[in-house]
Amino acid sequence: MNRRTGRKALRIAKRVATHLVLVGACLFALFPVYFIVITSFSSLPVEAISASSLIPRPSQLTLASYQAVIYNSPQPGFSQMLVNSLIFGGSAAAAGLLLAAFTGFALSKFNFPGRRTFVYFILAISLFPSFVLILPFYLMFDHLGLIDTYLGLIIPYSAGAVVFSGILVKNYMDSIPDDIEEAALVDGLSRTGAFFRVLLPLCLPILALAALLAFVGPYTDYALAQQFITSNSLRTLALGLFSNYSYTTTEGSAVWGVVTAFALLMSLPIFAAYLLFQRYIIGGLTLGAVRG
Amino acid sequence: MADLRDKTVAYRLRKEWPAYVYLLPTILVLAFLNAYPIAYAFYISLTNFGTGGHFLSYEYVGWTNYTTYLATTGWPPLAAIGRALLWGGTSGLAPIFNLAALASPVTTSQLWPYVQNSFFWAGVCIFLFLGVGLGLATVLNQNIRGKTVYRTLILVPWAMPAFITILVWANMWSYNYGIINQLLASAGVARVNWLGSTDTAWVALFVTNLWLSFPFYTVVFLGVMQAIPKDLYEAAAIDGAGSLAAWWRITIPYLRPTIAFVGLMGFLFTFNNFYPIYLITGGGPLNTTQIFITKSYSVAFGASPQYALAAMYGMVDFVLLVAITLVVIWRTDLTRNWLK
Repeated sequence: MNRRTGRKALRIAKRVATHLVLVGACLFALFPVYFIVITSFSSLPVEAISASSLIPRPSQLTLASYQAVIYNSPQPGFSQMLVNSLIFGGSAAAAGLLLAAFTGFALSKFNFPGRRTFVYFILAISLFPSFVLILPFYLMFDHLGLIDTYLGLIIPYSAGAVVFSGILVKNYMDSIPDDIEEAALVDGLSRTGAFFRVLLPLCLPILALAALLAFVGPYTDYALAQQFITSNSLRTLALGLFSNYSYTTTEGSAVWGVVTAFALLMSLPIFAAYLLFQRYIIGGLTLGAVRG
Repeated sequence: MADLRDKTVAYRLRKEWPAYVYLLPTILVLAFLNAYPIAYAFYISLTNFGTGGHFLSYEYVGWTNYTTYLATTGWPPLAAIGRALLWGGTSGLAPIFNLAALASPVTTSQLWPYVQNSFFWAGVCIFLFLGVGLGLATVLNQNIRGKTVYRTLILVPWAMPAFITILVWANMWSYNYGIINQLLASAGVARVNWLGSTDTAWVALFVTNLWLSFPFYTVVFLGVMQAIPKDLYEAAAIDGAGSLAAWWRITIPYLRPTIAFVGLMGFLFTFNNFYPIYLITGGGPLNTTQIFITKSYSVAFGASPQYALAAMYGMVDFVLLVAITLVVIWRTDLTRNWLK
């Protein structure tokens, strides 16, 4: 009797502890994001931010920071920076999607001579610290007359996620039974036909993830854009955010609300995409990691 | 016998050649945007670009950069490489056995502390990632209410672009106005000058990077845990094993390949991940949190760019990471899982 109530108490204690741990983890995960949101809507100067302003009174809320971001951002203005970032991110996503699909297919469904060597080779290549490539890139693209042009950034960005997403797609395709491809072949499709009509549609979730990953890199890239872009009209959101930010740290704090509003607007599309595709992302990553 | 014939190169070439067509775009892209620039960077590391030469008038100086900086790192393996190159002579014509160079004392240059910091940074980070990831995944992998909600909320940091959240964290750690110090102050604890001293600066960096990364590790481990067949646990329970024993004997062995793979990849990525340190401490205070990769970045794009040295650092970093990877692959069964 006593023992049974003891065991029940233990079970309840365990459950409470479980939820405490998880709530703690969620608070840790959410706090900075909550802080960004609060600050971006706050009318308080940064000096006045304190523990008590974390729960703002209605009178302290304002849209001024958002107005400042949208109407008063430095050249070329927020909308043009957004367009530039979308151009760079979008073209990288398109290129990344195409390359990852082909690479994954070749590595997963073919047993060609040199396959192992190829995988080792691309993995090794991805270990090279990327920013050290900025200088060779600069010299190469300067030679081609592409510095400070859209194309001059679109090209280097397109290679960014090839290795990682190629392997991701390969692992995903590994989990699709060969029977499916064989059935398509029996039905009279060529191997290429089977790839485009049967395998690719099955791979949509992982391809969405590959495109997303390829998009995020250029969309938030600072290092390469900083060296390649000199004219205002080409400036991206990442450059705009960083100049706002360094202005804050050198000139005092009055524009911290603007920095957070800028940051929030900039991350919104990516954030939405992650939440929408959550199931596929988790599925894709898990499969990728299980198979290695 | 048929198997043997299947495996000949000629047979596979005849049957599998379309793979090369599919790989062609990737091969072209990687050749033009990775292999060639890496070779170019290697060439630059053999010149005096920025260390005497100018943008359009730099010249080939052989292994000088390597010998000057590697041979004096104070870390025997790196120094040995540098001194071996020194042996060959900087002009390529010097005698192979340069006894004078061999006998010269090894002085410590600025390079080694940064390499040490890189190992410290990546090592502690990966330890935290794996520990927290495994722990949270284990806790989440129970029959509890609100599981999906917890998982979604935990994923939030990962869904925000790192470049943005790192900048926000940098502000949160600030001494005067940072929210972390404000919270401490309102709790009656003295403010901490987080980025002002080495130990607390590392704490700030580790917490920030943990925040950036733990969602990924948790979700991946949780995914693998959910794929473990339930009957394994039922059988263990029948045999009288407690949940802790089951975790240690079933869950962990099942996760081992994933831990090894994610751990290695995470280590390599963190070793080369310069944004957190570059944006939060900038390597400070006084270069004590400077890692190899942030050091090379400031050498390349700092006030007086020394591209040749930065390229040399990049090559050393690359060789180090490839060596680490090879050792891990040899010592574990990773490859078997990779290339099935």
